[in-house]
Amino acid sequence: MGETFTLYLRLLNLTLRGQMQYRASFILSLISTGLISLFEFGALLLVLIELETLAGWTIAELAVLYGLVEFSFGLMDNIFDGFDPRNFGQRVRLGTFDQMLLRPVPLITQIMGSRFELRRIGRIVIGFAVAAAGILVIPMQWTLWKVVLLPMMVIGMVCFFGGLFVFGSTVTFWTIESIEVMNILTYGGSYAMSHPVSIYPGWLRAFLTFIVPAIFLNYYPTLYLLDRPLPAGDWVAFLSPLVGIGVLWLAFRVFKIGIRYYQSTGS
Amino acid sequence: MIHVRNLSKHFRISTHSSGMAGTLRSLISRQYRTVKAVDNISFDINAGELVGYLGPNGAGKSTTLKMLTGLLVPTTGDISVNGHLPWKTRKRYVARIGAVFGQRTTLWWDLPVIDSLSLLQHIYRIPADTYQRNLAKFTKVLELSPFLDTPVRSLSLGQRMRADIAAALLHDPDILFLDEPTIGLDVVAKERIREFILQVNAERKTTVLLTTHDLTDVERLCDRVMIIDQGKLLFDGQLSQLRARFGGKRELVVDFAERYDSASVVGADLVSLENQRATYQFSRGETTASELIQRISSQYRIRDLEVREPDIETTIRRIYEERLLATE
Repeated sequence: MGETFTLYLRLLNLTLRGQMQYRASFILSLISTGLISLFEFGALLLVLIELETLAGWTIAELAVLYGLVEFSFGLMDNIFDGFDPRNFGQRVRLGTFDQMLLRPVPLITQIMGSRFELRRIGRIVIGFAVAAAGILVIPMQWTLWKVVLLPMMVIGMVCFFGGLFVFGSTVTFWTIESIEVMNILTYGGSYAMSHPVSIYPGWLRAFLTFIVPAIFLNYYPTLYLLDRPLPAGDWVAFLSPLVGIGVLWLAFRVFKIGIRYYQSTGS
Repeated sequence: MIHVRNLSKHFRISTHSSGMAGTLRSLISRQYRTVKAVDNISFDINAGELVGYLGPNGAGKSTTLKMLTGLLVPTTGDISVNGHLPWKTRKRYVARIGAVFGQRTTLWWDLPVIDSLSLLQHIYRIPADTYQRNLAKFTKVLELSPFLDTPVRSLSLGQRMRADIAAALLHDPDILFLDEPTIGLDVVAKERIREFILQVNAERKTTVLLTTHDLTDVERLCDRVMIIDQGKLLFDGQLSQLRARFGGKRELVVDFAERYDSASVVGADLVSLENQRATYQFSRGETTASELIQRISSQYRIRDLEVREPDIETTIRRIYEERLLATE
């Protein structure tokens, strides 16, 4: 385990040094991803200023919901960039995945170490700032449980979104064309999660509960943070990391099946 | 070291019927066509052998190599390499082999060569002294030093291939698989790589299996050749056997000391006679070169001569053609 982690860090180190060769492009995309996030939130803000509240949520409360998703998604996008179906599909198609199979170290370590997009830090910073501003404005009543829950939510969401990326990458072993379907799930999921789930129709809520259990990751724990009532008790809020890690675990299992399939067909 | 028995790999390829109706039909029920990329082949390779694996494009060379390196699982048949089933014990198996697949680099594209090599030291857990020794040796023989600090993306094809081959051998693998190691390189670069492969094979007793289109590679490197076409192994034996069995006519080129109007001789065909140079063709088995030379020298004054073996390219082309005749 320790050895695998050391290898991961070594791979990351090389990946980052490779990226630093393109400094100008790095700075430009750092600024642009930050601006995109900022404008997205700005657009939401403009609507909200007119409405003042959305489904009974104040702007500050919505900022917490929105900021935490942005922050977690940005983190995940960095850590799981190797599993971004677009990158991974490319790797399978170009045959560079074969080179990973030829190295005597775990595949998941190699894939995670193969990419790390520092430029997405823009999104992480904006997400963090929006959530922090919301928390300060509300102002939140802190308890020990809330202090514990906050980082667990982030871990849960990083694992959850990461799991969706891994599912998407697995699909590319079979077909490149269905990547878009997975992307709708991943990006649509993160967008849906940045709004109060109560605004959605029943079928979508059911989908986000039972099919893609996104509702556990951000909505329920945020209800707890904001001292709002939860449907089945406060413990539901703490399912966030469990659901996230569970989805990621399942995704890695399915990924291994994908590798078996790949080895029986080639590219 | 390598045992292959009744190895086959079949691919199912979906066939698209033409037209709108065909497209709709293929949505409901797909039609598949089975392609036998590798069709029931068997061979053994002993430790220390240097074997050339030849065949036209799409013959099944790469598929075989992918199965031997564990990238592909066979449809039927057995492979045992060093006692491993390549695709079963992936991590342990690939730690003992080296592989270079043609045009694709195993090195980190944006980083200096030396950084990739030093990462491979950790990936393969190469002891520091072994790493230093191998690096020093490969740097010298393959002349890597001018570009060790250059990012891989800026290397020429020949430099990149040299770096890749060095990378594949850093961990002293038992077996080296090379897929088209000299493709696209200039003569000097090709020769340098050949020298290196010979040296590694001689000094470390590394078993080498290489595919190539370049028949000079085969003549320079391989004692043994295997020829595959349409998934079937057509020939497996020594290069000399290949020549003897399938080789065309040998040629004798003679430079005479004076001008002759005719220079025909019994047992050989005179193909050309220009100025003072005559070219004869003769068949192995019918007459030997020395008999022929005696006969010529008894009639004409010879200044210089040369015996030319049939080139391997013609030989192999003949094998492909004969196979086509046999199956028709």
